[in-house]
Amino acid sequence: MKTLKNTIAIAATAVLFSSVSSGIVVAISTRDTIIKDFAVKAGAPLSAERGKALFETKAGGGKPETPSCTTCHGASPMNTGKTRAGKLIEPMAVSKTPERFTEIKKVKKWFRRNCKSVLGRECTPQEKGDFLTFMSSK
Amino acid sequence: MSDHEHRIKVWDIPTRLFHWLLVVAVGTGLITGFISPEWWMGIHIWAGYGTVLLVVFRLVWGVFGSEYSRIETFAFTPGEVIAHLRELIFLRPLHYIGHNPAGAMMIFALIFFLFGITISGLLVLGGEENQGPLAGVISYQVGDVAAEVHEVLVFVLMVLISLHIIGVILEMRLTGENLITPMFNGHKVIPEGEVASELRSSKPLLAAIFLFAFAVISGSVLWALSTMPPSGIIQLAKNANYTAECGDCHEVYHPSLLPKASWAKLMKDLENHFGEDASLDQGVTDGIAGYLQAHAAEAWDTEASNRFSKVSSTTTHQITATAYWKRKHKDIGAEVFKRKGVGGKVHCSSCHLDAASGRFDDQKIKIPEQ
Repeated sequence: MKTLKNTIAIAATAVLFSSVSSGIVVAISTRDTIIKDFAVKAGAPLSAERGKALFETKAGGGKPETPSCTTCHGASPMNTGKTRAGKLIEPMAVSKTPERFTEIKKVKKWFRRNCKSVLGRECTPQEKGDFLTFMSSK
Repeated sequence: MSDHEHRIKVWDIPTRLFHWLLVVAVGTGLITGFISPEWWMGIHIWAGYGTVLLVVFRLVWGVFGSEYSRIETFAFTPGEVIAHLRELIFLRPLHYIGHNPAGAMMIFALIFFLFGITISGLLVLGGEENQGPLAGVISYQVGDVAAEVHEVLVFVLMVLISLHIIGVILEMRLTGENLITPMFNGHKVIPEGEVASELRSSKPLLAAIFLFAFAVISGSVLWALSTMPPSGIIQLAKNANYTAECGDCHEVYHPSLLPKASWAKLMKDLENHFGEDASLDQGVTDGIAGYLQAHAAEAWDTEASNRFSKVSSTTTHQITATAYWKRKHKDIGAEVFKRKGVGGKVHCSSCHLDAASGRFDDQKIKIPEQ
Protein backbone atom coordinates (compact mmCIF):
# COMPACT_ATOMS: atom_id res chain seq x y z
CA MET A 1 0.00 0.00 0.00
CA LYS A 2 2.77 2.34 0.96
CA THR A 3 4.55 1.92 -2.33
CA LEU A 4 1.32 2.62 -4.22
CA LYS A 5 0.85 5.87 -2.32
CA ASN A 6 4.42 6.87 -3.06
CA THR A 7 4.01 6.07 -6.70
CA ILE A 8 0.87 8.22 -6.90
CA ALA A 9 2.65 11.07 -5.13
CA ILE A 10 5.64 10.85 -7.44
CA ALA A 11 3.41 10.67 -10.51
CA ALA A 12 1.36 13.67 -9.39
CA THR A 13 4.50 15.69 -8.72
CA ALA A 14 5.88 14.73 -12.08
CA VAL A 15 2.68 15.76 -13.87
CA LEU A 16 2.56 19.06 -12.02
CA PHE A 17 6.21 19.82 -12.61
CA SER A 18 6.12 18.89 -16.26
CA SER A 19 2.99 20.92 -16.94
CA VAL A 20 4.49 24.04 -15.35
CA SER A 21 7.84 23.60 -17.05
CA SER A 22 6.21 22.76 -20.35
CA GLY A 23 4.29 26.05 -20.09
CA ILE A 24 7.57 27.89 -19.80
CA VAL A 25 9.11 25.78 -22.57
CA VAL A 26 6.14 26.52 -24.83
CA ALA A 27 6.49 30.25 -24.10
CA ILE A 28 10.18 30.19 -24.92
CA SER A 29 9.68 28.08 -27.99
CA THR A 30 6.86 30.30 -29.36
CA ARG A 31 8.97 33.39 -28.92
CA ASP A 32 11.92 31.65 -30.53
CA THR A 33 9.71 30.54 -33.39
CA ILE A 34 8.44 34.08 -33.90
CA ILE A 35 11.99 35.47 -33.93
CA LYS A 36 13.29 32.70 -36.21
CA ASP A 37 10.41 33.36 -38.56
CA PHE A 38 11.47 37.01 -38.85
CA ALA A 39 15.11 35.92 -39.42
CA VAL A 40 14.02 33.63 -42.24
CA LYS A 41 11.96 36.41 -43.84
CA ALA A 42 14.83 38.89 -43.40
CA GLY A 43 17.33 36.49 -44.94
CA ALA A 44 20.10 37.94 -42.80
CA PRO A 45 21.36 37.49 -39.23
CA LEU A 46 19.56 39.46 -36.52
CA SER A 47 21.31 41.99 -34.30
CA ALA A 48 20.45 43.12 -30.80
CA GLU A 49 22.56 46.24 -31.43
CA ARG A 50 20.41 47.29 -34.37
CA GLY A 51 17.33 46.46 -32.32
CA LYS A 52 18.54 48.82 -29.59
CA ALA A 53 19.17 51.55 -32.14
CA LEU A 54 15.66 51.10 -33.58
CA PHE A 55 14.15 51.30 -30.08
CA GLU A 56 15.92 54.57 -29.39
CA THR A 57 15.86 56.25 -32.80
CA LYS A 58 13.95 59.44 -33.49
CA ALA A 59 13.66 58.78 -37.17
CA GLY A 60 10.79 61.13 -37.92
CA GLY A 61 8.20 60.33 -40.52
CA GLY A 62 5.70 59.11 -37.96
CA LYS A 63 3.11 61.01 -35.99
CA PRO A 64 4.48 64.05 -34.17
CA GLU A 65 3.03 62.80 -30.87
CA THR A 66 5.16 59.63 -30.98
CA PRO A 67 8.67 60.44 -32.27
CA SER A 68 10.23 57.30 -30.75
CA CYS A 69 9.41 53.94 -29.13
CA THR A 70 10.81 55.47 -25.95
CA THR A 71 8.04 58.12 -25.97
CA CYS A 72 5.75 55.58 -24.35
CA HIS A 73 8.00 52.67 -23.38
CA GLY A 74 10.53 54.84 -21.56
CA ALA A 75 14.26 55.14 -22.15
CA SER A 76 15.05 51.64 -20.88
CA PRO A 77 13.20 48.42 -21.79
CA MET A 78 13.87 47.31 -18.22
CA ASN A 79 11.46 49.92 -16.86
CA THR A 80 7.71 50.33 -16.90
CA GLY A 81 6.42 52.67 -19.58
CA LYS A 82 3.29 54.76 -19.84
CA THR A 83 0.89 55.38 -22.72
CA ARG A 84 0.09 58.96 -23.64
CA ALA A 85 -3.32 58.32 -22.09
CA GLY A 86 -1.71 57.30 -18.82
CA LYS A 87 -1.89 53.48 -18.79
CA LEU A 88 1.18 51.68 -17.51
CA ILE A 89 3.08 49.46 -19.96
CA GLU A 90 4.91 46.42 -18.58
CA PRO A 91 8.66 46.49 -19.28
CA MET A 92 9.52 45.31 -22.79
CA ALA A 93 12.54 43.30 -21.61
CA VAL A 94 11.77 39.59 -21.60
CA SER A 95 13.70 39.15 -18.34
CA LYS A 96 11.23 41.52 -16.66
CA THR A 97 8.05 40.42 -18.48
CA PRO A 98 8.50 36.74 -19.44
CA GLU A 99 5.21 36.53 -21.37
CA ARG A 100 6.39 39.16 -23.86
CA PHE A 101 6.30 38.24 -27.60
CA THR A 102 4.75 34.82 -27.07
CA GLU A 103 1.52 35.54 -28.90
CA ILE A 104 1.92 36.05 -32.63
CA LYS A 105 -1.39 37.93 -32.88
CA LYS A 106 -0.28 40.54 -30.35
CA VAL A 107 3.19 40.84 -31.86
CA LYS A 108 1.68 41.51 -35.30
CA LYS A 109 -0.90 43.99 -33.97
CA TRP A 110 1.54 46.13 -32.02
CA PHE A 111 4.28 46.14 -34.67
CA ARG A 112 1.70 47.18 -37.29
CA ARG A 113 0.30 50.04 -35.22
CA ASN A 114 3.39 51.29 -33.44
CA CYS A 115 5.69 51.21 -36.48
CA LYS A 116 3.10 53.34 -38.28
CA SER A 117 2.80 55.70 -35.30
CA VAL A 118 6.56 56.12 -34.83
CA LEU A 119 8.02 55.60 -38.30
CA GLY A 120 5.01 56.30 -40.48
CA ARG A 121 5.40 52.90 -42.19
CA GLU A 122 5.33 49.17 -41.51
CA CYS A 123 8.55 47.73 -40.11
CA THR A 124 10.60 45.27 -42.17
CA PRO A 125 11.08 41.65 -40.99
CA GLN A 126 14.72 42.56 -40.33
CA GLU A 127 13.71 45.45 -38.03
CA LYS A 128 11.14 43.32 -36.20
CA GLY A 129 13.64 40.49 -35.76
CA ASP A 130 16.35 42.85 -34.51
CA PHE A 131 13.88 44.46 -32.09
CA LEU A 132 12.78 41.14 -30.59
CA THR A 133 16.40 39.93 -30.38
CA PHE A 134 17.28 43.04 -28.41
CA MET A 135 14.32 42.65 -26.05
CA SER A 136 15.08 38.93 -25.55
CA SER A 137 18.67 39.77 -24.63
CA LYS A 138 17.49 42.17 -21.95
CA MET B 1 -48.44 95.22 39.72
CA SER B 2 -44.97 93.79 39.79
CA ASP B 3 -42.73 93.44 36.77
CA HIS B 4 -43.18 89.72 36.94
CA GLU B 5 -46.84 89.99 36.09
CA HIS B 6 -46.03 91.90 32.90
CA ARG B 7 -43.89 89.12 31.60
CA ILE B 8 -45.67 86.29 29.83
CA LYS B 9 -44.38 83.28 27.94
CA VAL B 10 -45.18 83.89 24.29
CA TRP B 11 -42.95 81.48 22.34
CA ASP B 12 -42.77 77.94 23.69
CA ILE B 13 -39.57 75.92 23.45
CA PRO B 14 -40.56 73.84 20.39
CA THR B 15 -41.43 77.00 18.43
CA ARG B 16 -38.13 78.69 19.33
CA LEU B 17 -36.18 75.54 18.62
CA PHE B 18 -37.99 75.24 15.30
CA HIS B 19 -37.09 78.79 14.34
CA TRP B 20 -33.38 78.47 15.00
CA LEU B 21 -33.07 74.97 13.56
CA LEU B 22 -34.77 76.30 10.44
CA VAL B 23 -32.18 79.07 10.30
CA VAL B 24 -29.46 76.42 10.45
CA ALA B 25 -31.11 74.15 7.86
CA VAL B 26 -31.91 76.93 5.39
CA GLY B 27 -28.53 78.57 5.95
CA THR B 28 -26.77 75.26 5.29
CA GLY B 29 -28.90 74.75 2.19
CA LEU B 30 -28.07 78.21 0.87
CA ILE B 31 -24.36 77.94 1.53
CA THR B 32 -23.98 74.43 0.11
CA GLY B 33 -26.20 75.36 -2.82
CA PHE B 34 -24.42 78.53 -3.83
CA ILE B 35 -20.78 78.39 -2.98
CA SER B 36 -19.67 74.94 -2.01
CA PRO B 37 -18.16 72.34 -4.30
CA GLU B 38 -20.30 69.63 -5.80
CA TRP B 39 -19.03 66.88 -3.56
CA TRP B 40 -20.86 68.58 -0.70
CA MET B 41 -24.17 67.82 -2.38
CA GLY B 42 -24.92 65.25 0.32
CA ILE B 43 -25.09 67.97 2.97
CA HIS B 44 -27.33 70.09 0.73
CA ILE B 45 -29.75 67.18 0.39
CA TRP B 46 -29.88 66.60 4.15
CA ALA B 47 -30.50 70.32 4.69
CA GLY B 48 -33.50 69.91 2.37
CA TYR B 49 -34.93 66.92 4.20
CA GLY B 50 -34.36 68.74 7.49
CA THR B 51 -36.22 71.79 6.21
CA VAL B 52 -39.26 69.72 5.18
CA LEU B 53 -39.39 68.01 8.55
CA LEU B 54 -39.14 71.33 10.39
CA VAL B 55 -41.86 72.97 8.29
CA VAL B 56 -44.17 69.99 8.74
CA PHE B 57 -43.50 70.10 12.45
CA ARG B 58 -44.38 73.79 12.50
CA LEU B 59 -47.73 73.13 10.79
CA VAL B 60 -48.57 70.40 13.31
CA TRP B 61 -47.42 72.64 16.15
CA GLY B 62 -49.60 75.35 14.61
CA VAL B 63 -52.56 73.20 15.67
CA PHE B 64 -51.34 71.59 18.89
CA GLY B 65 -48.81 74.12 20.16
CA SER B 66 -49.29 76.60 22.98
CA GLU B 67 -51.38 79.76 22.51
CA TYR B 68 -49.21 81.98 20.30
CA SER B 69 -47.77 79.09 18.29
CA ARG B 70 -51.25 78.23 17.04
CA ILE B 71 -52.02 79.27 13.48
CA GLU B 72 -55.51 80.45 14.48
CA THR B 73 -53.95 83.18 16.64
CA PHE B 74 -52.25 84.71 13.62
CA ALA B 75 -54.70 83.87 10.85
CA PHE B 76 -55.72 87.45 10.19
CA THR B 77 -58.36 88.59 7.72
CA PRO B 78 -57.19 90.49 4.61
CA GLY B 79 -58.70 93.61 6.13
CA GLU B 80 -56.57 93.28 9.26
CA VAL B 81 -53.43 92.72 7.17
CA ILE B 82 -54.12 95.82 5.04
CA ALA B 83 -54.86 97.86 8.15
CA HIS B 84 -51.55 96.77 9.72
CA LEU B 85 -49.58 97.55 6.57
CA ARG B 86 -51.21 101.00 6.48
CA GLU B 87 -50.18 101.55 10.09
CA LEU B 88 -46.65 100.52 9.16
CA ILE B 89 -46.56 103.02 6.30
CA PHE B 90 -47.62 105.77 8.69
CA LEU B 91 -45.01 104.39 11.11
CA ARG B 92 -47.58 103.84 13.87
CA PRO B 93 -48.18 100.08 14.03
CA LEU B 94 -50.38 98.63 16.74
CA HIS B 95 -48.78 96.27 19.21
CA TYR B 96 -49.42 92.53 19.02
CA ILE B 97 -48.40 90.06 21.70
CA GLY B 98 -47.95 87.18 19.25
CA HIS B 99 -47.31 87.45 15.54
CA ASN B 100 -48.51 90.66 13.95
CA PRO B 101 -50.33 90.48 10.57
CA ALA B 102 -47.18 91.33 8.57
CA GLY B 103 -45.19 88.66 10.42
CA ALA B 104 -48.01 86.19 9.91
CA MET B 105 -48.02 86.83 6.16
CA MET B 106 -44.27 86.27 6.17
CA ILE B 107 -44.68 82.92 7.94
CA PHE B 108 -47.21 81.69 5.40
CA ALA B 109 -45.06 82.91 2.51
CA LEU B 110 -41.94 81.25 3.94
CA ILE B 111 -43.76 77.95 4.49
CA PHE B 112 -45.14 78.08 0.94
CA PHE B 113 -41.78 78.80 -0.66
CA LEU B 114 -39.87 76.35 1.52
CA PHE B 115 -42.24 73.61 0.40
CA GLY B 116 -41.79 74.69 -3.20
CA ILE B 117 -38.01 74.71 -2.85
CA THR B 118 -37.79 71.30 -1.21
CA ILE B 119 -40.23 69.67 -3.65
CA SER B 120 -38.45 71.15 -6.68
CA GLY B 121 -35.15 70.11 -5.11
CA LEU B 122 -36.38 66.53 -4.82
CA LEU B 123 -37.37 66.67 -8.51
CA VAL B 124 -33.89 67.93 -9.48
CA LEU B 125 -32.32 65.18 -7.41
CA GLY B 126 -34.42 62.48 -9.02
CA GLY B 127 -34.30 63.89 -12.55
CA GLU B 128 -30.88 65.39 -13.08
CA GLU B 129 -28.89 63.38 -10.57
CA ASN B 130 -30.89 60.14 -10.70
CA GLN B 131 -30.81 59.98 -6.93
CA GLY B 132 -33.28 60.07 -4.09
CA PRO B 133 -36.78 58.61 -3.92
CA LEU B 134 -37.86 60.05 -7.27
CA ALA B 135 -34.89 58.72 -9.29
CA GLY B 136 -37.06 56.03 -10.83
CA VAL B 137 -39.97 58.24 -11.86
CA ILE B 138 -38.54 61.61 -12.88
CA SER B 139 -36.80 62.08 -16.23
CA TYR B 140 -33.79 64.31 -16.76
CA GLN B 141 -35.95 66.73 -18.73
CA VAL B 142 -38.35 67.26 -15.81
CA GLY B 143 -35.41 67.57 -13.43
CA ASP B 144 -33.91 70.22 -15.68
CA VAL B 145 -37.08 72.35 -15.53
CA ALA B 146 -37.31 71.77 -11.78
CA ALA B 147 -33.74 73.08 -11.43
CA GLU B 148 -34.81 76.40 -12.97
CA VAL B 149 -37.84 76.58 -10.69
CA HIS B 150 -35.69 75.65 -7.68
CA GLU B 151 -33.36 78.56 -8.41
CA VAL B 152 -36.10 81.13 -8.90
CA LEU B 153 -37.83 80.04 -5.68
CA VAL B 154 -34.55 80.31 -3.77
CA PHE B 155 -34.09 83.88 -4.98
CA VAL B 156 -37.61 84.71 -3.81
CA LEU B 157 -36.78 83.04 -0.49
CA MET B 158 -33.73 85.23 -0.07
CA VAL B 159 -35.85 88.31 -0.72
CA LEU B 160 -38.35 87.06 1.89
CA ILE B 161 -35.60 86.43 4.45
CA SER B 162 -34.27 89.95 3.84
CA LEU B 163 -37.77 91.42 4.26
CA HIS B 164 -38.24 89.35 7.41
CA ILE B 165 -35.07 90.76 8.98
CA ILE B 166 -35.83 94.31 7.80
CA GLY B 167 -39.39 93.94 9.13
CA VAL B 168 -38.18 92.84 12.56
CA ILE B 169 -35.78 95.78 12.79
CA LEU B 170 -38.45 98.21 11.56
CA GLU B 171 -41.09 97.00 14.02
CA MET B 172 -38.58 97.10 16.87
CA ARG B 173 -37.75 100.71 16.06
CA LEU B 174 -41.37 101.77 15.66
CA THR B 175 -42.80 100.00 18.69
CA GLY B 176 -39.71 100.11 20.87
CA GLU B 177 -40.26 96.45 21.64
CA ASN B 178 -37.41 93.95 21.67
CA LEU B 179 -38.48 91.11 19.36
CA ILE B 180 -35.19 89.23 19.31
CA THR B 181 -34.65 88.31 22.97
CA PRO B 182 -38.07 86.56 23.18
CA MET B 183 -36.94 84.29 20.34
CA PHE B 184 -34.31 83.01 22.77
CA ASN B 185 -35.96 83.07 26.20
CA GLY B 186 -39.58 82.91 25.07
CA HIS B 187 -40.78 85.77 27.26
CA LYS B 188 -42.23 89.14 26.35
CA VAL B 189 -42.92 92.13 28.54
CA ILE B 190 -46.51 93.19 28.07
CA PRO B 191 -47.09 96.96 27.90
CA GLU B 192 -49.16 98.60 30.64
CA GLY B 193 -52.86 98.07 30.12
CA GLU B 194 -52.63 95.33 27.49
CA VAL B 195 -54.37 92.12 28.44
CA ALA B 196 -53.17 88.79 27.20
CA SER B 197 -55.84 86.37 26.07
CA GLU B 198 -56.33 83.04 27.79
CA LEU B 199 -53.05 81.17 27.36
CA ARG B 200 -53.90 77.70 26.14
CA SER B 201 -51.17 75.16 26.68
CA SER B 202 -49.76 72.80 24.10
CA LYS B 203 -50.78 69.21 23.43
CA PRO B 204 -47.45 67.53 22.82
CA LEU B 205 -48.84 64.00 22.72
CA LEU B 206 -51.32 64.79 19.95
CA ALA B 207 -48.61 66.66 18.06
CA ALA B 208 -46.28 63.69 18.41
CA ILE B 209 -48.95 61.30 17.13
CA PHE B 210 -49.59 63.45 14.06
CA LEU B 211 -45.88 63.92 13.38
CA PHE B 212 -45.27 60.22 13.77
CA ALA B 213 -48.13 59.44 11.39
CA PHE B 214 -46.71 61.90 8.87
CA ALA B 215 -43.23 60.42 9.18
CA VAL B 216 -44.51 56.86 8.74
CA ILE B 217 -46.78 57.65 5.78
CA SER B 218 -44.42 59.92 3.87
CA GLY B 219 -41.47 57.75 4.80
CA SER B 220 -43.09 54.60 3.40
CA VAL B 221 -44.23 56.38 0.24
CA LEU B 222 -40.71 57.68 -0.39
CA TRP B 223 -39.20 54.32 0.49
CA ALA B 224 -41.55 52.54 -1.92
CA LEU B 225 -40.61 54.99 -4.67
CA SER B 226 -36.92 54.64 -3.90
CA THR B 227 -37.04 50.89 -4.50
CA MET B 228 -37.70 51.59 -8.19
CA PRO B 229 -34.55 51.42 -10.29
CA PRO B 230 -33.31 54.84 -11.40
CA SER B 231 -34.71 55.84 -14.76
CA GLY B 232 -32.45 56.01 -17.78
CA ILE B 233 -29.63 53.89 -16.35
CA ILE B 234 -29.26 50.59 -18.14
CA GLN B 235 -27.27 47.65 -16.91
CA LEU B 236 -24.26 47.98 -19.18
CA ALA B 237 -23.18 44.64 -20.57
CA LYS B 238 -19.40 44.40 -20.70
CA ASN B 239 -17.86 44.03 -24.12
CA ALA B 240 -14.66 42.00 -23.87
CA ASN B 241 -13.07 43.56 -26.94
CA TYR B 242 -13.96 47.10 -25.94
CA THR B 243 -12.52 46.56 -22.47
CA ALA B 244 -9.37 44.81 -23.68
CA GLU B 245 -8.48 46.64 -26.88
CA CYS B 246 -9.36 50.19 -25.85
CA GLY B 247 -8.28 49.54 -22.28
CA ASP B 248 -4.78 48.62 -23.49
CA CYS B 249 -3.90 52.28 -23.92
CA HIS B 250 -6.43 54.28 -21.94
CA GLU B 251 -9.26 54.17 -19.44
CA VAL B 252 -12.30 52.29 -20.69
CA TYR B 253 -14.59 55.27 -21.14
CA HIS B 254 -18.28 54.85 -20.51
CA PRO B 255 -20.12 54.71 -23.87
CA SER B 256 -22.64 57.31 -22.66
CA LEU B 257 -19.96 60.03 -22.76
CA LEU B 258 -20.27 60.59 -26.53
CA PRO B 259 -23.22 60.56 -28.92
CA LYS B 260 -23.68 57.91 -31.62
CA ALA B 261 -22.38 60.13 -34.41
CA SER B 262 -19.13 60.84 -32.57
CA TRP B 263 -18.47 57.16 -31.79
CA ALA B 264 -19.19 56.24 -35.42
CA LYS B 265 -16.68 58.79 -36.75
CA LEU B 266 -14.07 57.88 -34.16
CA MET B 267 -14.31 54.17 -34.95
CA LYS B 268 -13.96 54.85 -38.68
CA ASP B 269 -10.59 56.54 -38.24
CA LEU B 270 -8.67 54.43 -35.73
CA GLU B 271 -5.51 54.84 -37.87
CA ASN B 272 -5.44 58.43 -36.64
CA HIS B 273 -6.59 58.06 -33.06
CA PHE B 274 -5.55 61.17 -31.12
CA GLY B 275 -2.08 61.10 -32.64
CA GLU B 276 -1.59 57.34 -32.78
CA ASP B 277 -2.42 54.41 -34.98
CA ALA B 278 -4.94 52.39 -32.98
CA SER B 279 -6.30 50.30 -35.85
CA LEU B 280 -7.77 46.86 -35.14
CA ASP B 281 -8.92 43.88 -37.18
CA GLN B 282 -12.06 44.77 -39.13
CA GLY B 283 -14.11 42.21 -37.22
CA VAL B 284 -13.01 43.56 -33.84
CA THR B 285 -13.53 47.15 -34.99
CA ASP B 286 -17.07 46.39 -36.18
CA GLY B 287 -17.91 44.62 -32.93
CA ILE B 288 -16.76 47.52 -30.78
CA ALA B 289 -18.44 50.07 -33.08
CA GLY B 290 -21.74 48.21 -32.78
CA TYR B 291 -21.44 48.04 -28.99
CA LEU B 292 -20.77 51.79 -28.81
CA GLN B 293 -23.70 52.60 -31.11
CA ALA B 294 -26.04 50.56 -28.89
CA HIS B 295 -24.84 52.19 -25.66
CA ALA B 296 -24.01 55.75 -26.76
CA ALA B 297 -25.29 58.83 -24.90
CA GLU B 298 -28.69 58.62 -26.62
CA ALA B 299 -29.45 55.32 -24.85
CA TRP B 300 -29.19 56.85 -21.37
CA ASP B 301 -30.94 59.47 -19.26
CA THR B 302 -28.19 60.52 -16.87
CA GLU B 303 -26.81 64.01 -16.36
CA ALA B 304 -23.61 63.09 -18.21
CA SER B 305 -25.42 61.42 -21.13
CA ASN B 306 -27.80 64.36 -21.52
CA ARG B 307 -24.88 66.78 -21.64
CA PHE B 308 -22.56 64.72 -23.85
CA SER B 309 -25.33 63.80 -26.28
CA LYS B 310 -25.19 67.46 -27.34
CA VAL B 311 -21.53 67.20 -28.40
CA SER B 312 -21.20 67.80 -32.13
CA SER B 313 -19.42 65.03 -34.02
CA THR B 314 -17.74 67.68 -36.19
CA THR B 315 -15.98 69.49 -33.33
CA THR B 316 -14.16 66.92 -31.22
CA HIS B 317 -14.24 63.30 -30.09
CA GLN B 318 -12.06 64.11 -27.13
CA ILE B 319 -14.32 64.07 -24.08
CA THR B 320 -11.99 66.38 -22.14
CA ALA B 321 -12.00 68.91 -24.99
CA THR B 322 -15.77 69.39 -24.99
CA ALA B 323 -17.18 72.70 -23.75
CA TYR B 324 -19.23 70.91 -21.09
CA TRP B 325 -16.27 68.97 -19.71
CA LYS B 326 -14.14 72.11 -19.58
CA ARG B 327 -16.86 74.10 -17.83
CA LYS B 328 -17.37 71.39 -15.20
CA HIS B 329 -13.62 71.19 -14.48
CA LYS B 330 -12.70 74.87 -14.75
CA ASP B 331 -12.10 75.27 -11.01
CA ILE B 332 -9.70 72.34 -10.84
CA GLY B 333 -6.13 73.57 -11.13
CA ALA B 334 -3.54 72.11 -13.48
CA GLU B 335 -1.53 70.90 -10.50
CA VAL B 336 -4.42 68.69 -9.39
CA PHE B 337 -4.36 66.82 -12.70
CA LYS B 338 -0.59 66.36 -12.30
CA ARG B 339 -1.00 64.54 -8.99
CA LYS B 340 0.17 60.96 -9.05
CA GLY B 341 -3.18 59.67 -7.84
CA VAL B 342 -4.99 61.54 -10.59
CA GLY B 343 -2.64 60.93 -13.50
CA GLY B 344 -4.11 63.45 -15.91
CA LYS B 345 -7.47 64.45 -17.34
CA VAL B 346 -7.73 61.12 -19.13
CA HIS B 347 -8.44 59.24 -15.88
CA CYS B 348 -12.08 59.94 -15.05
CA SER B 349 -12.12 57.18 -12.44
CA SER B 350 -9.24 58.67 -10.43
CA CYS B 351 -11.72 61.18 -8.95
CA HIS B 352 -15.13 59.92 -10.14
CA LEU B 353 -15.41 56.71 -8.15
CA ASP B 354 -18.54 55.71 -10.09
CA ALA B 355 -17.19 56.49 -13.57
CA ALA B 356 -17.60 52.89 -14.69
CA SER B 357 -21.37 53.07 -14.15
CA GLY B 358 -21.74 56.28 -16.14
CA ARG B 359 -23.53 58.00 -13.25
CA PHE B 360 -20.88 60.51 -12.21
CA ASP B 361 -22.70 61.41 -8.99
CA ASP B 362 -21.58 64.59 -7.28
CA GLN B 363 -21.06 62.73 -4.02
CA LYS B 364 -18.83 60.16 -5.69
CA ILE B 365 -16.12 62.72 -6.43
CA LYS B 366 -13.01 62.15 -4.32
CA ILE B 367 -9.94 63.98 -5.57
CA PRO B 368 -6.73 62.20 -4.48
CA GLU B 369 -4.60 64.43 -2.24
CA GLN B 370 -1.34 63.17 -3.69
